[in-house]
Amino acid sequence: MTGFPVSAATTPNLWQRSARADAIAVLVVAATALVLFLLFPQSLALLTRIVAIMLLVLSLDLVTGYSGVATLGHATVFGAGAYAAGILAARFGVADPLLMLAIGALAGALAGGVSSLVILRGHGLGQLVLSIAIVQLAHEMANKFSSWTGGSDGLSGIMPSPLFGLFRFDLWGRTGYWLAVALLIIVFLVLRAVVRSPFGMLCRGIKQDPVRVRAMGAPVYFTLVKMYAIAGAVAGLGGALSAISTKVVGLDSLSFSLSAEALVMLVLGGTGKIFGAMLGTIVFVWFEDIVSAINPFHWLTIVGVLLVVVVLFAPKGLVGAIESVVSRMRGRKT
Amino acid sequence: MKKLVLASLALGLMSGAALAETIKIGVVGPFSGPAALQGRNFQAGIDAWLAMNGSTVAGHDIEIVYRDLPAADPAQSAALTQDLVVGEGVHYLAGYYYTPDAMAAAPILEEANVPMVIFNAATSAIVNASPYVVRTSFTTWQTSTPMATVARERGIDKVITVVTDYGPGVDSENAFVAGFTGAGGNIVESIRMPMNTNDFSPIMQRVKDSGAEAVFAFLPAGPATLGFMQAYVENGLKDAGVTLLAPGDLTQEPDLAALGDNALGVLTTFHYAVSHDSPENQAFVAAASKAIGNPADLSFPAVGAFDGMYVISKMIEATGGNQDAKAAVEAVKGLAWTSPRGPVSINPENRHLTQNIYLREVAKVDGHYINQEIQTFENQGDPGWKAP
Amino acid sequence: MQTILSIGADALAYGMVLFVISIGLSLTMGLMKVVNLAHGAFAMIGGYIASYLTQQMGLHFGFAMLAAVLGTVLIAIPLERLLYRRIYGAPELTQVLMTIGITFAIIGIANFLMGPTLKTIALPPELQGPVDIGFRTIAAHKLFAAAVGIVVAGALWFLIERTPFVVRLRASVDDAAMAGALGVRTRMVYAVSFAVAIGLAALGGVVGAQLLPIEPYYALRYMVTFLVVVSVGGAGSIPGALIACLLLGAVETTGRYLMPEFGEFFFYLAVIAIVCIFPNGLLGRAK
Repeated sequence: MTGFPVSAATTPNLWQRSARADAIAVLVVAATALVLFLLFPQSLALLTRIVAIMLLVLSLDLVTGYSGVATLGHATVFGAGAYAAGILAARFGVADPLLMLAIGALAGALAGGVSSLVILRGHGLGQLVLSIAIVQLAHEMANKFSSWTGGSDGLSGIMPSPLFGLFRFDLWGRTGYWLAVALLIIVFLVLRAVVRSPFGMLCRGIKQDPVRVRAMGAPVYFTLVKMYAIAGAVAGLGGALSAISTKVVGLDSLSFSLSAEALVMLVLGGTGKIFGAMLGTIVFVWFEDIVSAINPFHWLTIVGVLLVVVVLFAPKGLVGAIESVVSRMRGRKT
Repeated sequence: MKKLVLASLALGLMSGAALAETIKIGVVGPFSGPAALQGRNFQAGIDAWLAMNGSTVAGHDIEIVYRDLPAADPAQSAALTQDLVVGEGVHYLAGYYYTPDAMAAAPILEEANVPMVIFNAATSAIVNASPYVVRTSFTTWQTSTPMATVARERGIDKVITVVTDYGPGVDSENAFVAGFTGAGGNIVESIRMPMNTNDFSPIMQRVKDSGAEAVFAFLPAGPATLGFMQAYVENGLKDAGVTLLAPGDLTQEPDLAALGDNALGVLTTFHYAVSHDSPENQAFVAAASKAIGNPADLSFPAVGAFDGMYVISKMIEATGGNQDAKAAVEAVKGLAWTSPRGPVSINPENRHLTQNIYLREVAKVDGHYINQEIQTFENQGDPGWKAP
Repeated sequence: MQTILSIGADALAYGMVLFVISIGLSLTMGLMKVVNLAHGAFAMIGGYIASYLTQQMGLHFGFAMLAAVLGTVLIAIPLERLLYRRIYGAPELTQVLMTIGITFAIIGIANFLMGPTLKTIALPPELQGPVDIGFRTIAAHKLFAAAVGIVVAGALWFLIERTPFVVRLRASVDDAAMAGALGVRTRMVYAVSFAVAIGLAALGGVVGAQLLPIEPYYALRYMVTFLVVVSVGGAGSIPGALIACLLLGAVETTGRYLMPEFGEFFFYLAVIAIVCIFPNGLLGRAK
């Protein structure tokens, strides 16, 4: 891999700087989580759900934002995690939440790796359509094997045992929320490391110019399959988290519409940025929630207008817009 | 999360009983999205009940808090339900159009000490998910089973079943096949159609080739019913005298105008027809039509909501406004009353409604298409329910 | 034999309906390089106009069809000037976001204006009822849709092969500045191409309304089908789209007849196989 852009992790000075940035970022995430916990103690289930979707969007960012793979079927990996964790609990009685998360991540990684073998064979529009075909097939399969998955009635009977044997998943959803926040922070740190690693740089290189990367002798296809498996694990964690906190898994977790929504959230926040994925999810779900509460009959129109406005005035997503405002202000100062 | 601050739609008139605590009822339903019409029917049923009975029960004002759940989405359902219970502090939960959404809400009922009255979701097993679930709608088994008797009574021996391939469709097929073969009938074939089938012509071809005398069909209310009915007529099955039998989802009232003459003569079994002839129903339809705006939009979820409100009012009376889910549910077990759909009672064993199922025929009366009731199957329980 | 012919007739009719609805999208995506996910929304608008004119105003179907095409184009022109013009040449994901936004807004407005119930288009007596084609009967409106499909395919072939219009369009898409310098009025070329694509969408919405009924969620419900058809055929290729529609129509119809319970599997496995073998679609141009 010599000759490729040198990773930031190789020089100690930069490494220290990025470690500090990581620490600050983690503090920001944790502080936000605490503030939300104190402000909205009654909506913890909704916040947990947002984190679960956030993991899906972060995962999508890895393959779309960092590696340039266009997909409208990313719910496949989310649903794989949710159903794996759910089936483990409902059908085999393994109800330990950490074990469920581990199985979810594993199933997501497997589903990601396997589906990428097909998806990566296409380019552009063909790739989009391959990813759609895969999520539709997965959806149909979950519908067919209803003795395992509950089909369209949903997989119910998931009763996660207390976390560490101490913290019950109660009515208030506190356990679920802090578990979600902890997961998010761990995933956040791991992803920061992944995207800065030589492997992450290679993926970015492939996004920019796959032909050149191939000419340099790096295995394009295999690298992307690996990235897909990592992304699958992240989304699978999200699915498992959703299964644990909801106690029901539905076919919607394997749907085209969830995949499309995830893509919208990602582009809204800004692709190729970890904070973009997180901000996009919060803004979209939160906006949808407020608008649908004010007027359930018109919220779709308003959400539609929001998306159009974002494209017109913040074409690089919300984080892109914030960055350019910040850099303009900095530019003025100096 | 701002929803909690903004969403409450207080329907209570600020008259009387100012001292008593307000009773909040949280209603989850599809108020937007593809099934928005059914959500509006929830609302119309609730509004009709409030208009006819006032918004005070046993000295307590009633406040309805709506939450929008556009599609089957258990994770969102659990989040909204939790938000209603711990955020809004609702005393009763109600609504729920899709089965997985009801399933996702059920696990928290006991801890929350809140009863839940289901206005629609029609899978038999939901009542087993929690002892605090009461249902005022119907189950697919309940509405499909009598059709087997209808078919046999009409001397039909050979039937092909055609259902949409998902939970309710499979329930419907099982119910009909069990009833029909039990009565000595012969099922020549059972076809399950994928959810997004647009062109039903090949299916009809298959029906034709099977040599069946009648076809039993289940499709969810919605756009697919139009193509299905059209293919049935255009492929010559209607002219060939192949009878179409179905539960009433296929011919719900708002779709009848679009189905048009193609649907004339189709036989369906269901628990409620907007045209049901009784003083209770006339009063209900008048109030609900006013609530929904366009009377042609009125459909079966409205009556589920209307009766659900009645059940909740009885629960409030029984508990004197105290939060006691167990006592509230106990109080309505065995409750019997005359609903707009006819005489009904709550089976104490499974907390589901025992009710009449009607055989109806699509007819054109005064230029409007209606489901005309022509036969009654009295006091039908839920044959699909199994004790847990 | 009877059965095979019968299935063949159904497959042909269904495939042609798919063709009429999705060919406009193939042009937008292939020639203009715009991923227009709102294509179905414009088809829906066409359907609504025709439904309103035939049912509420009692006008003739032929007139309603024409009015639907023109009306939809009129609605689309300001959208092109204000919104689409900003995303020509933008990254695909930006186009996806913008056009999904437009789709959402159109669905919301349609729901508000027309209500959530199904809308039908009144057919003239000639197009109602079955027609005997020798070995079986087939719905007259399906034959009509097939005929419209053939006319559309012929007209587009003429436009693309026999007029310089598409050369100007390709030039404008590939290098707007250079094309402009050579005297091509690029804005006009874009606007006209867009109008043609939208007009075709509206036509498809009207002609296909018997199989794909008009209701507010039409725009999202069939989005996947349209995308699949276009990519299998190869974006921008008219014979490609035609072959893809007939092929997918055949796979779907045969699957529905032989093993309806696995119909979806056949369809999507066929799509995966075709796209893997022909990454640019059956007759698409390599990039």
